[in-house]
Amino acid sequence: MLLLVCGLALWFPTRVTGQSYRGWLNSSAHMVELRPVGVDSVARADVVTDADGRLFFDGYPVTCEGDQCTGLLPLPKERIFAVTQDASVTYWGLGVQGLSATALVRLRTGFGGDAAWPRYDDELDVMLGYAQLVRGSLRLRVGRQEVRSGLGFAGFDGVSGSFDPGRLRAEIYGGRSLARGLREPSNEAARALSDFFIDHGVYLVGGAATVREFGVSVTGRYHREILADRSGLESERASLDFSTTVPRMRIRGSIDYDFAFRRPGKGELTISAPFDGGTWLMELSGRRYVPYFQLSTIWGFFEPVSYSEALARLAWSGNRTLAAWVAGGARTYGETETGIFLQALEDTGWRADGGLRWEPRDRWSVDATYQMEWGPGAFLQSGDVSARHQASDRLRLGLTLATFQQIEEYRLGQGRAFGFGGTVDYRIGERMDALAGFSITRHRDGGSIYTSPWNQTRAWTSLRWTVGGDPGRANRRGRR
Amino acid sequence: MKVAAPLIGIGLAGLAGSAMAMLGVAVGASQEDAFPHAEHQGLFPLCIGCHEGIPSGDRSDWYPEPAGCVGCHDGVDREEVSWTGPSDRIHNVLFDHAEHEAELAEVDDSSPECAACHIEPGGGRMEVAVDIQVGTCWGCHAHETEEHYDVDASCETCHVPLASTGFATARIEALPRPPSHEAEDFVLEGHGDLAPGRTGLCATCHTRERCVSCHVDTDVEEIAALPSAPSSMVLPPTEASYPEPVSHTDSRWLEVHGPEAAVGECSTCHTTDDCRSCHVSEVPDVVASLPRRADVVAPGATIEPGGPDSHTSLFFMQAHSALAAADQRGCETCHVQQFCVDCHDAEVGGGYHPPNFMVRHSGDAYGRDSECSNCHEPQAFCQACHVDIGLSGSRTVAAGYHDGSPVWLLQHGQAARQNLESCASCHRQVDCTRCHSTLGAFKVSPHTSSFDAERAWLQSPRTCLACHVGNPTGGDGP
Repeated sequence: MLLLVCGLALWFPTRVTGQSYRGWLNSSAHMVELRPVGVDSVARADVVTDADGRLFFDGYPVTCEGDQCTGLLPLPKERIFAVTQDASVTYWGLGVQGLSATALVRLRTGFGGDAAWPRYDDELDVMLGYAQLVRGSLRLRVGRQEVRSGLGFAGFDGVSGSFDPGRLRAEIYGGRSLARGLREPSNEAARALSDFFIDHGVYLVGGAATVREFGVSVTGRYHREILADRSGLESERASLDFSTTVPRMRIRGSIDYDFAFRRPGKGELTISAPFDGGTWLMELSGRRYVPYFQLSTIWGFFEPVSYSEALARLAWSGNRTLAAWVAGGARTYGETETGIFLQALEDTGWRADGGLRWEPRDRWSVDATYQMEWGPGAFLQSGDVSARHQASDRLRLGLTLATFQQIEEYRLGQGRAFGFGGTVDYRIGERMDALAGFSITRHRDGGSIYTSPWNQTRAWTSLRWTVGGDPGRANRRGRR
Repeated sequence: MKVAAPLIGIGLAGLAGSAMAMLGVAVGASQEDAFPHAEHQGLFPLCIGCHEGIPSGDRSDWYPEPAGCVGCHDGVDREEVSWTGPSDRIHNVLFDHAEHEAELAEVDDSSPECAACHIEPGGGRMEVAVDIQVGTCWGCHAHETEEHYDVDASCETCHVPLASTGFATARIEALPRPPSHEAEDFVLEGHGDLAPGRTGLCATCHTRERCVSCHVDTDVEEIAALPSAPSSMVLPPTEASYPEPVSHTDSRWLEVHGPEAAVGECSTCHTTDDCRSCHVSEVPDVVASLPRRADVVAPGATIEPGGPDSHTSLFFMQAHSALAAADQRGCETCHVQQFCVDCHDAEVGGGYHPPNFMVRHSGDAYGRDSECSNCHEPQAFCQACHVDIGLSGSRTVAAGYHDGSPVWLLQHGQAARQNLESCASCHRQVDCTRCHSTLGAFKVSPHTSSFDAERAWLQSPRTCLACHVGNPTGGDGP
């Protein structure tokens, strides 16, 4: 599809900005150096015993049989590389009014160690590849595409159509379902990993309707995945999203419902209100979260409980050089109906965070954030300070300092990581950007048990070349 | 003197001549050709003796043949002369001696003497002035307005359109700028309000080229009615000017401009290309109706693609998902799907997760801010890395995990129901079914009291059979 679209781009002459072609090539490379943790064996003579009789090797717990002890120990240092090449193009002006073609292809490779990035054994993915025809209020799309909605991202190979005469919008879609984020058929994506993989393809059908009236926009969506042999469902859900702007206030909300289990899913209601001429922004949110699992796994049948959370955020931007915000939230988990042994685990949590942005001089900015989160099985506290300097119209430099306590749920650990890093962002030309960065993290106070060493060195670089017109790209410039 | 209607034309012609005189624009012929009338006043009793063709309209007889000079200037008695007569006059006055005389004759009026217009008041016989004496016109005619350049004046009564004059560039540049043109909103609003029905007024000083140097809507009636300059006419250079209307300065203009859009409103300054700089989906009818830039002369008010005001919010990134879900169409005006995928499917180096996200992604995952399962399969996406790096105990229950608690298995149920995504990011399903299965070691039910087994069997019997032998509800088997 990419070759086809590129060929079309070369064959047909360039037209106006929004109606010719647009695309980009992005080459990126990442390196990480770390020490994985794995099962290893040590000699009994190297193991010490604490006052409680527990056995440790170099601070890590081990179990011994005879002269041989084993435990989860830091393995030799690995240096791992990952390389990604993305190519994307959308082309209009194919000689038929309203016809366009889009392709996005990703190539990956990794080397140097086993602990690579997710999916780096998947060397080629066609992320998108569809032809689109728009005529008046009608839109038809055929090929590999994606539906983004309050139900998450759903990829599929199939057909979608929408009718949008103005205040109403209707959309239907269907085809072979792809596993979330993987661009592979659902029944193949987890074959190597899952024990209960489905051995049939999955078909997806769905539809949505949007009403825009009186400043309110409401979208309802229904989404159903069914096994190809019709022996069961993979999912059946619906969502309702709305947004409205009333005088001096914006309200948005969403909720979804799982028909398969007959239970509500995620939901959110947020009210944003600027006041004092926009100097202050108050945001209040109510949120319900429960993870969603497809029916082909046992996870959903284990009935995860939701948590409900109230959040408040206050932002201030009194002048052109200083802005600050604070936020806090508290959540409580639903009744798990599980037995209590010795003592119950936490069923509440809270978090607080704040930050400020300071631009002391032209071309200089400083961001500082602090975050604290506490909940069942985990505690996080982190602080970050970063400075950026626009050295020239083309060159931007950044430096970051961070300290954080890594969340590893239900694992003990007192360790604290300190890190620093830098970035260089250089605009080679109007349509070409280069980015490079590094971060070095060192684990301190790590003498506690059960904590994996968090000593890492990472580096990355990317080169991005944009071709054709792209208003969307233009919008994003400066917010990177 | 009786004033007859046809005389108005004559008078206005004089008025126009007056205007030119005020500007220093000579109506007369090239002055180097001027004949020394006063020196010859004793020789020629009548004007018509030399200028017989003027009242009759016979252009060949407007001036005497230079050969006639030789009768006196024979080089013997008088020096020879090389007078060849004046060249053609270049002016924009709408006046014809013959027509004027004929019109006067029709109303039985006597034709004014030549001297009335061509000799200054009080001047002697044959003291012919360079410029015509427009004051003569006022004797019979009155201007419609007090000010010569009043917007209500009918310039075309006395003047021919600029396109017909053959004026040189400098002379066009020297044309007067009426006071109305100095108004602050003249370019934006004023001239458009004046133009309808007054194209003759505009055409006196402008050709169509002046309009289309800014207007992209060249099919407007008033513009089409204006004559174009001939190819031989070199017009002064013009610079397109596009003042920003007040409506466009509203911070929400991008969000509300759609309903306001109309061909007549937008097409003065904008081509369809401008709209399509942002509109990437099928464009509204209004946009499609606008002219293409390639088809117009004017540059048009070029639009730089940019985001609406909402995009500048401090929390736009947090809010955009809900806004997009509620009204996808608003996004699709400017963004194609790949724009979203650019970030949301980026695994390394993309925009959704910052480049170094991997170091601290567990914090985001724990708080569920990122709602990982929206985009990622916990098993297929998370497990491989977690196992490789040792964060998952090789899919077994091993020391070092879950607080190292020896009673963790007896406590884990609550944690699992609260954070099941975390479980799935490390554990295989068989890790659970070892106990939570009718075939497992302890046959512990993972279901709550409200679990609807019948519905679960109806929806996905295959999954039930992962733990149960046959239909757990007692009904028919698969």
